[in-house]
Amino acid sequence: MNALDEVLTRARSLVGRWEDEDCGTVTVKDFCRYAAALNDADYIDRARKREATGEPVEAPALFLAATMSWEDGPPERELRPDGLATRESPCTAGLPVRQVHGGQTVRLLKSPVAGCRVTASRAVTSAERKQGRSGAFVLLGLTTRFTSADGTELTAVDETIVVMEALDSPGAA
Amino acid sequence: MNPPVAGDICPPQRYTHSTVQLFRFSAVSWNSHRIHYDAGFAASEGFPDVVVQSTLHGETLTRYALAWAGPNSRLETVSWRNRTTAVADEPLTWTGTVQTVEGAHVSLEVAVLKADGSPCVTGTVQLALV
Repeated sequence: MNALDEVLTRARSLVGRWEDEDCGTVTVKDFCRYAAALNDADYIDRARKREATGEPVEAPALFLAATMSWEDGPPERELRPDGLATRESPCTAGLPVRQVHGGQTVRLLKSPVAGCRVTASRAVTSAERKQGRSGAFVLLGLTTRFTSADGTELTAVDETIVVMEALDSPGAA
Repeated sequence: MNPPVAGDICPPQRYTHSTVQLFRFSAVSWNSHRIHYDAGFAASEGFPDVVVQSTLHGETLTRYALAWAGPNSRLETVSWRNRTTAVADEPLTWTGTVQTVEGAHVSLEVAVLKADGSPCVTGTVQLALV
């Protein structure tokens, strides 16, 4: 079995198995740091002014969707060679593959506000072997639903991950 | 701004992502994939420099559409597909065209173009005018 077959087997065994992750209580500082990375000084000014007057502060629109993991994370020695934590890509751990994002669909249902506790529920939804111009790959589909403590759905994300053989792998293009 | 109609074209906007921005976006989004901040590792995977995060493309396309629509707009849905990778300091251009207007709901076809005009990212942004 080659690496892509193994990815496919692992992914198919995970399809439909939902896992919850506690994202914690989101804060104005979290939002502002995110906005700072986007050079959005106006958001920071508005958010801090609203915070000072006790008004609710909404997160930047894609704040939840853009955050890759809400875990504390492992120490560096436990990261994979590509820098990802094993948990962030369970279908590819230890295999000679590389991966990139295929794309995303993000639906905003209700903006999270600072002070809101958020849960992310994730599942692999599909796994298909494909053939592209540069060789074979596996296309993984993942879904994440973000909800607040009262069960209100905040953001829904459907994304695809493209998994290819490593460049130095015998079967790589 | 006049009410949008199908066929309206958003003024294209040129930009680049610096290596510092890619690092900061990886840090704030807890994305430790080395292709985004380690040029040597990115080269080992066949990329000419550190790679722009997919989610950063989506974020900036959304902001481009919202900025065009004005302060009384909010995002409903954004969907994008990565056609090829972009790297740090690469000249890129955001483009957008209004596809449909149904009441207060506006759908734009958006893209990130490379310097030669080829699409790097394509997608759709759906906004509500409030």
